[in-house]
Order: sequence, then C-alpha cells, then structure tokens
Amino acid sequence: MNTNTTNPEIPEIPELIGFKDEITSIKAAIDSFEAGQTKNIAIIAEPFGGRTALVNEIQRLYPQKLTTVSFSSTVKNAKEIIPLDQKKRIMILDHCECLYMRKIDGFRILDEFLKSIISSNNMFITTWNIYSWNYLDAVLNISKFFSVLIQPPKLSPTELKECFLSRYDENEIKFVEDAAFQREKLISFQSYPVVIQHLKNPINIPSLKVNYDDLRAIFAKKEEKVSAQDMIFKKIHRISNGNPGVAKALWKKSLEYPTIKPSWVKDLSLSIDLDYNESFILAIILSVDMIKDSELSEIAGPDFKMDNILFRLMQQELITVNESFCSIRPEALRSIVDFLKKLRLVW
Amino acid sequence: MADSTMINVPVINTGIIIGSILVILIAYTVIRIVSFALVWISEKAGQYRMTVKMVLPVLKFSIYGLALLYILNNIMKFTSEQLTLFGGLLGAGIGFGLKDLFADVIGGIIITLEKPIQVGDKMRIGNDYGEVTDIGIRATKIVTPDDNLVSVPNYLIFTQSVASANAGNPEMMILIDIFIDHESDAVLAMNILKEALITSKYVYVSKKRPFTILVKDYPYYRRLRAKAYVNDLRYEFEFESEVTRRTMAEFSKNGISAPTVNVINEHS
Repeated sequence: MNTNTTNPEIPEIPELIGFKDEITSIKAAIDSFEAGQTKNIAIIAEPFGGRTALVNEIQRLYPQKLTTVSFSSTVKNAKEIIPLDQKKRIMILDHCECLYMRKIDGFRILDEFLKSIISSNNMFITTWNIYSWNYLDAVLNISKFFSVLIQPPKLSPTELKECFLSRYDENEIKFVEDAAFQREKLISFQSYPVVIQHLKNPINIPSLKVNYDDLRAIFAKKEEKVSAQDMIFKKIHRISNGNPGVAKALWKKSLEYPTIKPSWVKDLSLSIDLDYNESFILAIILSVDMIKDSELSEIAGPDFKMDNILFRLMQQELITVNESFCSIRPEALRSIVDFLKKLRLVW
Repeated sequence: MADSTMINVPVINTGIIIGSILVILIAYTVIRIVSFALVWISEKAGQYRMTVKMVLPVLKFSIYGLALLYILNNIMKFTSEQLTLFGGLLGAGIGFGLKDLFADVIGGIIITLEKPIQVGDKMRIGNDYGEVTDIGIRATKIVTPDDNLVSVPNYLIFTQSVASANAGNPEMMILIDIFIDHESDAVLAMNILKEALITSKYVYVSKKRPFTILVKDYPYYRRLRAKAYVNDLRYEFEFESEVTRRTMAEFSKNGISAPTVNVINEHS
C-alpha cells in the first residue's frame, strides 16, 4: 500500500485537461458531505484512463480535508483500509480493484470495506478499474454503495494535443509532413494477419480499411487543409480511442525527438492467439491493472502453468512483468479488450 | 392434328438434364462456399457467433429455391399449364412415397422462418441432445456431447417437442447439483458454492442473467443447487466440472461432508 503516492504505471495528465465536469461533480459531492449528506463516489475507468490523475487533482484542491490511500497490490489485511488520519473525514481510495481476488474466499476484504462504508461517518472517494467494477457490480451489486458514479471521459484530439504539447516549449516539437503520408486514402486494403492452428506463420487476409476521419469531413463538407500536427493528433486519438495513457505510449513510440511525422504513428492492433486459460489470466491482469505473479497463481489454482502462460503473454507483447508485477502494455489495450470481450471474459 | 385441350409435355433432352444438373451443382457449390465463409466469420465474431450463423439456413433455402425457379423457368421453360401438370405430378409423387421428404422440406422452411432452433443452439429433441451444426433441406444435424453426429429429420418438429437450451444466445443456464450430509453447515456450504460459481472462469453474470443458490432438504441428504449462465454454451460441461471440483475441494478444507451411503443390510 502507498499513502499519498501515485502509481508510476498510470500516466499523469498535466493540469488535468478534459476532466472539468468530473471535478465539478466531485466538488459538489464534497460540499454535500460538509452540509451533512454523505455521497460516496466511485470513479470508474479503463486502465491508463486517468483515474489517478483525477484523484491527485482532488487531493491538490482539498489538501487539508482528504487522506489518500493508493493500493498497488492485492490488499490482504483489512487494517490497510482504515484511515490513517482520523481528523480527515474524506478518504480517497485509489485502485480499489485491489480489494478482492477472483477466487473462493477472495471477497472478504471487499465485504469488510463495504460494511465499513455503511457504518462509517466518513466520505469515500474510490477509483476502480472498469472491468473489475463491471464484474463486481454483476456478482455483488456494489454500485448500490456509491451514490455518485463518475466515468472519466475520453480525450478529444484537441485535448490530447494540449496535454502533450504543454510539456514542451513552443515550436520545440517539429511536425513534419512526409511524402509517404500526405493523406490517408478514404478506402484502402490492408493485410489482417490471421493465425491458424498448426500453421507456423499467420495468413494475411486482405481487408478494407476506411478512413473515417476524412469520410466524416467529406460528409460535413469540410474541405480543409489538415496540418501534419492535426493529422498526427487525430490519428493518435483514433488509435488510442481517447485513452490518455495509451495516447501517451503511442506518442512516445512515434516521436523521434524533436521530430514526428504522421507515418510514424503506427496502428497498434495486434493479432492475439491465446488458449482459454491464457485468455482468462490476461482478463485478470486487465481487470486489476497490476498484479503479482504469485497472486495470479493463487487465483488460477494448480491447473494453470503460470510460467508458461506469462511467457506466452509476454511473447505476444500483451503484458510486461516487472519485479514479478504483471501489467498490460498500454499499446496492446485496445486489442486485448476487443479480444476478451469477444470471449466474454470481460463484460 | 394436335388436340388443343392437351398439354404439351416438355421434351426433356440431354441438354436440359445437363443444364439442370449444372445449376444444382452451382447452387450446391455456392452454398458450401457461403456456409464455409459464414462459419469462419461467425467463429471470429465471438459473442455474435449465433447471430451470424442464423443467416445460414435462410440463405440455403433461398439459394435452392432460386435454383429450382431458374431450372423451371429458364432451362425447362415451363408454361403455366406445364407448371400445373408438374404440380399435379409432384402431388401424386408426394402421395405415393415422397411425403416424408416433402414434410422434411416444409419442416426445414418452418425451422428457418419460425426459428424454434438455430445453428449453434443446444437443443433436445426426443432422446437426442447436442449442438445444432446445420439446418439442412431434409434434416437438422446435431453433435452430441460424445461427438456423435445425429441427423434429425426436419418433420420431427411437427410431432415432437423441441427444447432449445439457449434460444439463440451464446450464454446458457447450467444447473449444478452438489449433495452434502445433514450434519454439515449448509450456510457455509452455500457461500462456498456461490463463490466457486461467481469466480469461475466460465461464468457470465448480468442483470438479465443472474445466478441463484438453492438448498433443499431430503431424508438422507441436502441438495445444493446452483443456477448460473456459462459464457459460451460450448463450455457447458467444463463449467459444471470446474465449479464442482473447486467447491468439493473447499468443502473438504471446511469439514463439509458428502452424504453417507445408507446401505440396507438385506440379511438383517
């Protein structure tokens, strides 16, 4: 457990661009609490979706009133969730997905936490991984404990631009139009790799790729010259789906300081080939942001060969394992979510 | 001089026969290609697998119907009188011995339109239970849990009740029964079964697909019954087995026992 610290894996958003409505809702709930009405808050977002940045901003706005507890691994002892500073009656609990394990007898800590919410006079601002939240809401109906549910929005191309460029001096980054990428075609063919069992190499199936941004512009009758900078941020937005963490990873990958070209921003879709057990472990990692390999073994039970599974997940560039902590790679987030939703392993 | 009231019987020559066979072959090939493509797409579509497969029987009947129409209209060039004669002959044929085949075709059309079952469903008809793999012109094919391919004539839907376990959805309700003795803590046992159920890698829970744990007392044992949905009906038996195995292991750790066998000594 970390107190008053942030998870290093979750990117921060400078000056918290794009979260104004959410901050207003949280401020209103805090004002209601001070007026005598307790409204517990659940902030629910995808991994890398900016939850920690949002609670850091709240902590910055109310330094005297809030205690922040940020969980970085599964909580094993209920004492970890007791407020350290009894004078501060508003508690922020970041990464509440760490309060349970998907195994028999894995909900004890979460049950105790939910009981303490009912009996306590404190206000709780909690953050949850959306896949854990959806699972827990389906099986335990946890949403009834929180009267304010907040889902951080996806950032627009303009907000992403503002967010990334605020870290650099004016004109520090050179956006270069490249001949290879003047403008994406409206409809083009691209190869979609399909993995077939028993075949060593994937088969490339040609598929249609539609340039929705330009298509929308044509329908809106906006014939405008798009600058390389706008083109880059539109592309980053489309690929990252407005997720700030994924967009940041994409930006880092595409930037050859101080230059960036539209053609350097590569699509991140991956062809995932996993068996059911491997997919289940991937779903667990996705649902909790970060988990120790020993905890994964606890969840999976003796049937799973965890070393083999983690090796396969790393081989396909889906996860990273750092000092026995497993987390998904931001670049792979979209592909992982699509794959697991098809299998109905995340809801 | 030809009698004007007589209907000219069409001359069926080698060209017509070859043409008709060719059209039927083309229709068959198109159906095979479309079926292969749709099944491939459906397997990639994950949770939408059943929706994609639903189109298959409709396409099959449409393509065969169009092929028949093409043969009658363009190859045999039947006039309306000849069509009436053909209808009469077909009626006689049905009366004499083709009635089962005809009933199968009609049954197939009704299955396609009414959708009591769909390709991909788990169905029970008579003594057979399995996954529907194909709804054909004459028969519906199901694969049983022990991998037998059973062809069920389509006309059976008129005479027997048909049960679809999932009604076109990928998820399906599974009942899992576990028995314990009277001395064991039933509340603890129910809680363990509940957690084994909701933490299973195969479970699917939503507001519309809830889970339930029930207990019932019998003279020699208590029955715990879990009702929950498996995320994909293909994992029906794996789900049941996984939940049972994990529950039994946890029961053993918590001193919850299986019912003792009451053996009646017939000599006493």
